[in-house]
Amino acid sequence: MTGLGWGLKSLRRRPLRTALSLAGIAVASAMLLDMVMLSGGIEQSFSELLLARGYQIRLTPKGTLPFDTEASIRGASTVVREIRAEPGVEAAGAVLGTSIYGRTADSLVTLFGYGIQPEAQGIYQVTAGADLAPGDTSGVLLSETAAALLGAAPGDTVTLVGRLDPQIAGAAVGRRLAVRALVRWIYDHRGQPSVGTVLPVMQRLGRETAADRGSLLLVKATDDREVDALAARLRERFPELEVNSVAELVVQAKRRLVYFTQLSYVLGGMSLVVAVLLVGTLLTITVNERLGEIATLRAIGVSRGTIVRQVLAEGVALTVLGAGAGILLGLATAEYLDAILTSFPGLPEAFSFFVPRAGTLSLSALVLLATGSLAGLYPAWLASRAPIAATLRAEAT
Amino acid sequence: MFSCCSPCPPCLRGEFLSVIFAFHLTLALAQTPAPATQPPGIAIERALAERLHLAVGDTVRLGASPDSLLRLAVVAAIYEPRPDPAEISRRALRVRLHLPDLADLLGASDRVDRFGIGLTPGVPADSAVAVLDRAAFGFRAHSSAVIASESSQTFKVVSRFHRAIAVITIVASAVFLLCIMLLKVEERRMDAAVMRFVGVRRRTIFGALVLEAALIAVLGSVLGAGLAFLAGAATNAYYRRFFDTELIFSLITPRIVLFSVCLSLLLGLAAGAVAAWRLVRTRPMVLWGRA
Repeated sequence: MTGLGWGLKSLRRRPLRTALSLAGIAVASAMLLDMVMLSGGIEQSFSELLLARGYQIRLTPKGTLPFDTEASIRGASTVVREIRAEPGVEAAGAVLGTSIYGRTADSLVTLFGYGIQPEAQGIYQVTAGADLAPGDTSGVLLSETAAALLGAAPGDTVTLVGRLDPQIAGAAVGRRLAVRALVRWIYDHRGQPSVGTVLPVMQRLGRETAADRGSLLLVKATDDREVDALAARLRERFPELEVNSVAELVVQAKRRLVYFTQLSYVLGGMSLVVAVLLVGTLLTITVNERLGEIATLRAIGVSRGTIVRQVLAEGVALTVLGAGAGILLGLATAEYLDAILTSFPGLPEAFSFFVPRAGTLSLSALVLLATGSLAGLYPAWLASRAPIAATLRAEAT
Repeated sequence: MFSCCSPCPPCLRGEFLSVIFAFHLTLALAQTPAPATQPPGIAIERALAERLHLAVGDTVRLGASPDSLLRLAVVAAIYEPRPDPAEISRRALRVRLHLPDLADLLGASDRVDRFGIGLTPGVPADSAVAVLDRAAFGFRAHSSAVIASESSQTFKVVSRFHRAIAVITIVASAVFLLCIMLLKVEERRMDAAVMRFVGVRRRTIFGALVLEAALIAVLGSVLGAGLAFLAGAATNAYYRRFFDTELIFSLITPRIVLFSVCLSLLLGLAAGAVAAWRLVRTRPMVLWGRA
């Protein structure tokens, strides 16, 4: 009989004990998988989100991150033109974020307005209708939520107003715009009512025309390998701006979400300890119960190596079976935990904390396999050192 | 600094009124000699003072952007901001200016982000909010309770996450405890067989095994509570240093200790009882391994 067969047979002898151990290993494995997914998921999800449209560099006002404060960049269009002239730049565009209002039949609704340059935009995807053309000063893009609030669809006309003035009880500026398309704003949180126009229109609505302000500049490099060098050049050329590559922004995001990463390490470590204790305890007691059997095998010529392999195989079998159930349980709990964490206010809807990847699953499986094998080392050593004659004599009495 | 578009309703004539205007500012150490007229005083938070090695009396230059650091200001005070969990990961550095100074700096006079209104005692906040919203144009009124509820959403999410993790941990611990208890009691098969051979009653053996399980559960709970206090202290020490704050990150209350001890006792007793019941039901010869 092979070591694995011997191990499986041994596990079948005590079904309740084995079932409880498997349940324990499954829960520990599920927790480990979740924590491995959490530790790498933040980084991967954020990186995918930032690279959704292929723009690898962001420029923001000095000392800020994109849309982190109300600070804005003066002369945004000029800076964009200068960036586009840089070697290694495939595309560059400015984005202005501001609060504006939409007029409905009987009131005003608060909206988030994006001013964009349609020829180089990296913040939305068109879901229905046609995209804005560069220089289209009479068109507007709506999110699903904004469309519902304004009761508008592609082809309709909406009225946007900006800068309400309490002293004159009126809006300083207003525009009637034709809805060109419904779009998904990549960085919007769930249910955010956002609208987008070309940059000059939004600047006018937000009273940012005079200084040609933008909140953020996006840059796409022609070659991914040149991103760091291009970022360094831009940093030197525009010292008044904060220049961050996606990799650097991911580091910043990880720093802000460091609590979750550290929590994942602590809980993942605890899961491994629980798995080791369960497998180790079970195998130790099993070996102690079967010392007579082991001594008999040794007496008829079975080698110490074979006994060690059999005990280790039992540990591995236990771990593999438990981990198999644990992976299914882990995927289900990850979905539940992700639903909780992604309800953070202000978090982009597309962001995810728990990202299942083949690499994550493989890593968890490997770690568990190693854990199961390690946990079997002590009982295997006990089994191999059992005194044959004394054990057989004790069994006989 | 500001004016209302219409007279305030009587119920809203406040005890106090505060205005806030927050904006992103850039600050740099001034290299220029002190001017003839005294620049305005500002208060900066301790972390900023430490970062830029500033002390009371130092002169700094302020501006709305890095290329317009035109205004001089004197550090009049260094203050420790009240710990705010909502701001902990942002690590924004704050400067406090008198409202006219900030408005002047930004070129945005007579403009604020929000008003704070203190109501006379007995006036319900909700009705005041409703009155203001009816009269308002260009702003919205919110009661402090609503703002507190909205701004605590982040912590509600974190709490829900912690609760979910706690449930998974409890399930894992329960299974682990059941398993260990079962193994522990099964280890006593030979003892139980001998006791049965010498005439000890099943009930007595059952009671002894359950008592043993209870003792182990109590000892484990006490040890666990001790470990939890140590882990909590380590967590607080680490994160307070990491975030440079006085916030409490891990709080172990008597209620939590009581819940944990009761739960582990209950689980330990249940597991011990199940295992002991299985053991006393088995024939002594089977326990002895000779059946």
